[in-house]
Amino acid sequence: MSRCVRQLWALSVLSVLELYRRKDLIVVFVLASVILLPLAFFAPFGVSGAGRYMNEVALLLVWLFSAVIGLGVSARLFPPEFESRTVFPLLAKPVGRGTVLAGKYLGALAASLSALAVFYLAYGVLAGVRQGVWFGVVLWQAFLLHAGFIVVLTALGLLGSLVLTASANLTFCGLLTVGMLAFGQRLPALAQAQPAPGRWVLGVIQWVAPHLEFFDLRQRLVHDWPPVGWGVCLMVLAYGMAYAGVCLALAAWVLRRRRF
Amino acid sequence: MEVVSLAGVSKAFGSVRAVNGLSLAVREGEILGFLGVNGAGKTTTIKLLLGFFPPDEGVVSVFGGDPRVAATRRRIGYMPETAYYYPYLNVRELLALYGGLCGMSAREIRERSEMLIERVGLTDAAGRLLRTYSKGMLQRAGIAQALLHDPDLLILDEPFTGLDPLARIQFRDLILELRRQGKTVFFSSHELSEAELICDRVAILKQGAQVWCGTMREVAGDGQQNLERIFLRILKGDAGGMS
Repeated sequence: MSRCVRQLWALSVLSVLELYRRKDLIVVFVLASVILLPLAFFAPFGVSGAGRYMNEVALLLVWLFSAVIGLGVSARLFPPEFESRTVFPLLAKPVGRGTVLAGKYLGALAASLSALAVFYLAYGVLAGVRQGVWFGVVLWQAFLLHAGFIVVLTALGLLGSLVLTASANLTFCGLLTVGMLAFGQRLPALAQAQPAPGRWVLGVIQWVAPHLEFFDLRQRLVHDWPPVGWGVCLMVLAYGMAYAGVCLALAAWVLRRRRF
Repeated sequence: MEVVSLAGVSKAFGSVRAVNGLSLAVREGEILGFLGVNGAGKTTTIKLLLGFFPPDEGVVSVFGGDPRVAATRRRIGYMPETAYYYPYLNVRELLALYGGLCGMSAREIRERSEMLIERVGLTDAAGRLLRTYSKGMLQRAGIAQALLHDPDLLILDEPFTGLDPLARIQFRDLILELRRQGKTVFFSSHELSEAELICDRVAILKQGAQVWCGTMREVAGDGQQNLERIFLRILKGDAGGMS
């Protein structure tokens, strides 16, 4: 293994160990699994179409819990390092600040994506039992795009963790995520309907904020709609990678300029 | 050969001038005690040596290179003043992390870790999380992580803080052994008695500027003065006659 790979591995393991030893996120993970599995076998009142509703609830929970874990890990990557000053012996080692950033990001990403894979496995079993469709194309696409969402979210959380406290970062990224998932698609229409200053503000938000709604295929899964084209999937993933790349480049710039 | 070289180095934080025109050289294989009261600029100087930030003026050089470049720090071992380590790791995991950052292989890390854990007397506590350690135990873990990659220069910030008398003696012996192996040690301290016992040279810092630097032979001088007397005279502003 090269020196750089060893450094990245050591830092990634640190992030995963922190997640494992800090019980709160493990509790979220266990809670999510415990809630998801019974949904597979729950048939409310024998009402036709209720299964679809239960799928929607399950997917909403998958999105909620994956976002909580992704943000919970990434938003706290640097504030505890600065507060408890563990960053001093870390940066005294022969490791560049860019490598520290990349290693921590990869660790947060690995932890969040592992949790996501378990959630989708549970959901896949749920959908298979209920609808007899085992891991269809749409489910794979949904997982892939959801992973893209996690890539963006953790990069955003990491950038925020360098400039905000953990709680402020969690609040900001949480509101941004909910806001973009709920209103992202309607932003252009909303902007057009506003008078001049509001239109400009919404226009800026439209171009700067991450369009997390692009990654959301819940409706296709719930209503058994056909898969989206793989070209569209790849474009959305490329957008996610580019957005995460910009966040990481900004984070590297902030960390490089930071005086300890 | 000069291992550490500071030439006319100044560093200010806002209106506070933490280091003021400091020039100092540390030669290979010597133990230099860097002494001063709280706020004298010792820790800022150490942070400059570790490349945490650049100086406002002057040149900082370690092994002839800029310590802000990661490769320059490969030969430096650093032990911070307070044990700033991850509370959710045990000492083996901590050493695995730092060994990985130093680019060591898993085998090298395992061998060096076990040797150092035994050397600093943490074998029985090696499986416990660091948050359960006492201050002295954390200092021992700090010594182990500083020595892990077998550095040629050790930078120790207040290394004797929190150590019990037995650990002090063991640590003092360890530093002297490192010197015998040809390592260079730069340590800051308020502990004049410890400095007197192990240092080849001492530099005294006051308000960010070096006010006295000399060998322990010069301290002993005419037999009338010891390091504590010199230190007190300097702090009172009466450094007359001292080089």
